[in-house]
Amino acid sequence: MTETIKAESPAAGNGKFDVDGLDLWYGPAQALKGVTMRIAGNSITALIGPSGCGKSTFLRVLDRMNDLIDGIRIEGKVLYDGVDLFGQVDVIELRKKIGMVFQKPNPFPMSIYDNVAYGPRVHGLRARTPAERRRLDELVEKSLANAALLDEVKDRLHKSALGLSGGQQQRLCIARVLAVEPDVLLMDEPTSALDPISTSKIEGLLDELKKSYTIVIVTHNMQQAGRVSDSTGFFLHGELVEYAPTKEIFFNPRDERTENYISGRFG
Amino acid sequence: MPNRSVAREKTAFGIIRFLSVFTVAILALIMGFILYKGLRYSNEVRGTVLPYEEASPDGLSIVVNDREGLESLEFPVLFGMYTDEYINWSKISADEHELLPVAIDPAAPDGAKAERLLFGESGRAGAEWGSSVRFAPDAASALALVRATPGAVAIVPSAALGAAGKGVQTLPLRRMTLAVSEDVVALVDNRSVEDLSDAAIDRLLKGSIANWKELGGPDLAVSILPASPGGMTAPAAAIAQAKGGVARIYASEAQAAGLSTLTRKGVERGWNLSFRYLVEAPRLSGKVGGISTIILNTFFMLILTIAMAAPIGVAAAVYLVEYAKQGPLVRLLRLGTETLAGIPSIIFGLFGFLFFVDILGFGFGLLSGCLTLTLMILPTIVRTSEEALKAVPRSLREGSLALGATKLQTIARVAIPAAAPGILTGLILGIGRAVGETAALIFTMGSDYKLAKGLFSSARALSSHVYLLFAEGISFDRAFSTATVLILIVLAFNFGARRLVGRMGGMK
Repeated sequence: MTETIKAESPAAGNGKFDVDGLDLWYGPAQALKGVTMRIAGNSITALIGPSGCGKSTFLRVLDRMNDLIDGIRIEGKVLYDGVDLFGQVDVIELRKKIGMVFQKPNPFPMSIYDNVAYGPRVHGLRARTPAERRRLDELVEKSLANAALLDEVKDRLHKSALGLSGGQQQRLCIARVLAVEPDVLLMDEPTSALDPISTSKIEGLLDELKKSYTIVIVTHNMQQAGRVSDSTGFFLHGELVEYAPTKEIFFNPRDERTENYISGRFG
Repeated sequence: MPNRSVAREKTAFGIIRFLSVFTVAILALIMGFILYKGLRYSNEVRGTVLPYEEASPDGLSIVVNDREGLESLEFPVLFGMYTDEYINWSKISADEHELLPVAIDPAAPDGAKAERLLFGESGRAGAEWGSSVRFAPDAASALALVRATPGAVAIVPSAALGAAGKGVQTLPLRRMTLAVSEDVVALVDNRSVEDLSDAAIDRLLKGSIANWKELGGPDLAVSILPASPGGMTAPAAAIAQAKGGVARIYASEAQAAGLSTLTRKGVERGWNLSFRYLVEAPRLSGKVGGISTIILNTFFMLILTIAMAAPIGVAAAVYLVEYAKQGPLVRLLRLGTETLAGIPSIIFGLFGFLFFVDILGFGFGLLSGCLTLTLMILPTIVRTSEEALKAVPRSLREGSLALGATKLQTIARVAIPAAAPGILTGLILGIGRAVGETAALIFTMGSDYKLAKGLFSSARALSSHVYLLFAEGISFDRAFSTATVLILIVLAFNFGARRLVGRMGGMK
């Protein structure tokens, strides 16, 4: 496996994800071209680049959300903890381990409690006995606490989640993912639809979550990438142009295109 | 040219506002008209007696076992009761009992008074009592007979009522007519006196009309004859002899004297829809009684239809939206459902009759009817459910899948609940179509107005009842009051559904 890891990978040893020569086509259009990168565990990796550069597509490959799209073709190798994602894996189990938070908050039209309990419930946790119910309650509270939302909603857990503000909804979506007890959090521009205060709350949350989860975050916001991430990958036209520790990318970019993008000349 | 564009805006706004107000006005007119006709009846009646009621004519009272909503009795009806013209109440009131006319023996003084009431003083000699009349020796035994017999009627002295009058009801009598001399009703130049409205009668008796020509009759001066002293009526002989004479007289006297009477054309108004109408079972093809069993049958029909159509329709929509590969086959299916939704219901009726009633042998009954209705409303339910499912944002489905839920879990726990308001709207539309259906039902569900006893029992729904009441000329008023009930039920359904959808929308 080690021979698939390219020299420019910033993290040492086996990564959480090892991507090698990933190509992806939507019908005739190629969206990813030979992407090779290693994503280290318990770190925050930011993916930046202009719109349509393939960073979100790449993120969705990591928990196989692209399976839902017709006419998609994927070549190359993606290893998750050494296991081939496109081999004999149970997608349901995989998505349980790799949670995803979307660009727009997408709470289900049900109560806050039911939103968080949704994952555990579909994975077979039934609250039939009082003990089971207590376990589910604890799980919901813990997840909400970890998403820094519990204090704001604890007295209205059984009210509709759609009554929350945008920032609260997004933290609820994070809590919903945490309740499944995943290993990796994939975030697709999680703060792009939020106001600055909600954004800073979620950024603070990311720092906490880094201790126990591997986080991959797609962002349009370069300051955000600079603030929160350990390493950053720059995508352009489906190619991974540069992938390095965040400080290096921002202060000492090796590729001219990276420099142009970061200094705001396009994108 | 800003001025011209402002003017154009204003014109367009005016037209749009006019059209919308016009539409609302038409809707209000339709609803208001049907509700008004359903609640109040106002019928043109033709008859010889004037609308003058006597509670105690000649000191006598007409008592019945149960007046069944009847408010008064016209003399010709009373006369017919005692001369074998009527054998039961169905042509008289909302009763279907056999008629039992009771009279006190004419040999007794009270009996003689009753005989005079019916046949007139001059006609008593040749009185022909009907063969069905039961003679009682005195008022007390006549009252006892009426009390004990549904459908009985008796003429007894009002003084005899008192305590013995308990358990029976009295009916006022209308026996005043307008008699004229023979030359008034003679056909001259193919013209004769027209039917008179209440206003015309009023003017005639007040003397405002000088010549019969004004009422379409012959050129003859009107001569109003005075009533005999102490009474309200003029003597029959005087009317017959007067030239162009007219006067009020009791129908019994006019009949005995062979006088011609004028026809009154009046309007009668009253309450059409009563509580009794809702809770009583229909009888005699709905001519009498209420519509309780028909309302219940309609509800059975709706419950059964929705129980069959909702699961099938929603499942089909889920398949079309979530599973089916969007290709020519699905397009064909969609075209098919859309075509089915536009097919006239009578075609479904024909199909249901041949297939369910005949080939499958279910016979006329709830099951055949509801299966036919199910086929009829399925396209609506499928199409609206499809649209509702399609409108569920993709992000919700992705959110569920990303949590590791399976496709089925995502559909059952996220997509269908989120689409529930739309699906419910489709169901309500379906119910609306089913409850208003007539053509498809008459040939499949039958038209028995008794309470359905089972799935294979023929049953009549409200809409069929309206149709049959109207088409078979049973009662126009009853058709309208049934229509009103139908409209109120549909209104209640829509209102309830709105509340339900609103509550679900609260979760959104």
